[in-house]
Amino acid sequence: MSEPFLDSILRTRKVLVCCGAGGVGKTTSAAALGLAAARVGRRVLVLTIDPARRLGEALGLPESGPTPARVPGGFALDAWMLDPQVVFEGMVRRLTSDPERLQRILSNRLYRALSTLVTGMQEYTAAEALYTFVESGDYDLVVLDTPPSRNALEFLEAPRKLSLFLDERIVGVFLPGDGAGILAKRARQFVAGIFERVFGEGFFSDLQEFLGAFSGMFTAMRAHSQAMRALLTGPESAFVVITSPDPSALEEARFLQKHLGEMGLPFSGFVLNRSWAYTRGLGDPEAIALPDDAPAALRSGLRKLVGLAAAERELARRDRALLDELSARGAPATATPHLGGAIESFEGLVALAESFLIRGRVPDVFPPAP
Amino acid sequence: MSRALGRQLGYGARRVRELLERRAVLVTGKGGVGKTTFAASLAHLAARTGKRVLVAELSYEPQATSPLAGALAIPRLGEDPVQVAPNLRAVLLTPTAGHARFLRATLPLGRLADAALKTAAVRRFLLAAPALAEMGILYRLLDLAKARRRDGSPEHELIVVDLPATGHALGLTQVPATILEIVRAGPIASAVREGLSLLRDPVATTCVVVTLPETLPVSEAAELIQGLARQQVPFAGVVLNRVPADPFEPPERAAIDALVLGKSLLGARTLPRIDRARAAAARLTELGYPVASVGEVADAGVLAPLLAQRLGEFH
Repeated sequence: MSEPFLDSILRTRKVLVCCGAGGVGKTTSAAALGLAAARVGRRVLVLTIDPARRLGEALGLPESGPTPARVPGGFALDAWMLDPQVVFEGMVRRLTSDPERLQRILSNRLYRALSTLVTGMQEYTAAEALYTFVESGDYDLVVLDTPPSRNALEFLEAPRKLSLFLDERIVGVFLPGDGAGILAKRARQFVAGIFERVFGEGFFSDLQEFLGAFSGMFTAMRAHSQAMRALLTGPESAFVVITSPDPSALEEARFLQKHLGEMGLPFSGFVLNRSWAYTRGLGDPEAIALPDDAPAALRSGLRKLVGLAAAERELARRDRALLDELSARGAPATATPHLGGAIESFEGLVALAESFLIRGRVPDVFPPAP
Repeated sequence: MSRALGRQLGYGARRVRELLERRAVLVTGKGGVGKTTFAASLAHLAARTGKRVLVAELSYEPQATSPLAGALAIPRLGEDPVQVAPNLRAVLLTPTAGHARFLRATLPLGRLADAALKTAAVRRFLLAAPALAEMGILYRLLDLAKARRRDGSPEHELIVVDLPATGHALGLTQVPATILEIVRAGPIASAVREGLSLLRDPVATTCVVVTLPETLPVSEAAELIQGLARQQVPFAGVVLNRVPADPFEPPERAAIDALVLGKSLLGARTLPRIDRARAAAARLTELGYPVASVGEVADAGVLAPLLAQRLGEFH
C-alpha cells in the first residue's frame, strides 16, 4: 500500500534529509519535495551537493552561484548547489575575528588543498551549510539532498570525523609551544620525526602553522557539530529514504533504515521511485479488436504491444509487493507516479511534487491486475 | 572465446580482448547503474581466460556493506585477497591497509611503523585528513599491482577496480594531483607519483564508464568522461546497461504509434523508454565514445553467470 506520509512532514518539519543509493532519483525527489512544501506556502531551501549539478537543470536554474537562488515559478523556493569552498571559507570567516589570522589561514597551502578537495570536504560542508541555513531563520524548511557517497550518511559522520581530527589532545601533539612536560615534548618529537620522514621536509612546519592558525576555531566547530546533531535527532527533523525497485538500491535502503535507527535519527519512511506500481486508467491492449482488413504490420505490432503490456503488469505486481514489504518494516512507503522521460522537465517536477501532497493524490487503491 | 562476450556487449571481440590485456580496469559510473555487477562479470570472464584476476572494491571503513561481495555471491570481503573462484580473488581496498604498508615501506624499522600506527595522533591524522585516506587506497592498489610471484610474474595479472559512484570516482583520480600540491617531496610524493603514472598509463590502465540508457544518466556519463580526460585517465568506452529490447520492425512501430495515439494503454509506457534508450546510444556514439549495450538481463545480478555460461559454450 502506498501511503501519503510526506504531506504532514512537508507542512510541519524544519529539516528534511533525503538519503538513498546513487541513481535512484534522489536529487529530483529532493527538488520535488521542496517544490511541494513551497506550494503549500512554506519558505523552502533545497540544498544539494551533487557535483554533476543536476538540480539546477531540473529546477530551471542557471549555474550555481555563491548563495541560494530563487527558483522561477512564483513560490518562496530557493535552491543552492553547495560549493564546498564557499561554505568552508564562510565558516572560517565567521569564526575568525582577527583579520591577520584570517589571511594566514586562507593563504596556507594545507587550507587551500583541504577546501578544494571534493572527497570528504563535501560531506563536511553539507552538514555545515544545513546547520547554518536552518539557524538563519530565513527558511521554514531546508531539504537536503545527501552527497552521492556509498554510505549516504557519511555527511553526518563528517563533523564527528573532523572533530576527532581537531581533538585538542591530538592537535596539541602537533602544535609548537611549551607543552606540558617532557612526555608531550617527546611525543611531539616522535611525531615530527615520522612526518618529516613520510611527508618530506617542510610539511610538519606547514601543518603546525595550519593548526596553529586554526586552533582558535576548534572549540566553536565542535560546538557546532554537537548542536547540529541535536537538531537532526530532534522532533523538527525527518529523514526519508529514496529508493528504486533495483535490488541493490533496495538493499541500500534497508541498510539506511537500520543505520538511521542505530544513530538515533528520526526515520520517516520510504519513497519508491521509478516504480510501475500505478496502472490506474490504463486500458488493456488485449481488448482492442482490429477490423478484418487491418494491415499485417498492425496485427503483429499489436501482438508485440500485448507482450510489453504483460511485462508491465509483471513489474506492477513486483512493485506493489515491494511497497507492502517496505511498509511491513514499520515505516510508511509511497510510490511516485510513473513519469517516464517527463521527469526531466519542470512540468514533470510539478507532477511529482503534487503526488507528495494529499490534495494532489488520486485515491490509493490499485486495480487488480488481470 | 571473447567473441561471445563481444556479442553480448556489442563490442567487437578485439575491444574486449584489449580490456582484458590491461593490468588494471577501473569501472566507474553513477550509483545504481549496475557498475558493480559489471565489474564482477568482467573479473569472472577474465579469470576464465586463464588470467590471475583480482577484483577490488574501495571502502573507507571495513564494516560497511559490500555490494561487490553481493555481486560475487560471497559473504564478505577482507583487506587481504580471498579466493572466490579459480584464478579469481577479491579484496577490499581500505585506507588503513594502505597506510600500514606505506609506513612499513617508508620507515627504516618495522617496529617504528607499528609504533607510528599505534600513535593516536598519527592514526587519526591519516584517517581524518581527507586526501590521505584516498592516498592510502591508492597505495594499497599500487602495492597489489606490484606484488610478484617467485618466478617474477605478477601475482595479479589483471585488477578490476569497482570505483565509487561518479562524484567520488573523480575525487579519487584527482586526489594524486592534490596531494602533490601539499606534499612535494618525500616518500608520499614519490608513492603518489608512482600511483599517478599507473593511473595514467594507457598501456597498463583503462577506465570503463557504466551508465543507463536515459537522458540524464547519459549526460552524467559524458561529464564523467570529460573529467577523466582532464585527469588524463585512459578511457575504453561506455557500457550502456539495462537497454530495453525493441521488439518492433519499423512498419509495426509506425502502426502501433498511430494506434496508441490519444489512448492510455498498458504496454505503451515502454515505447518512449525504448526510444530514449536508442537516443542515448546514438548520442554517446555521436560524441565519439565506443558504446557497448547490455540488455535488461543485467538487472537481477545474473549478468556474471550468464556471460560465464555463454563463454562456456565456446570452450
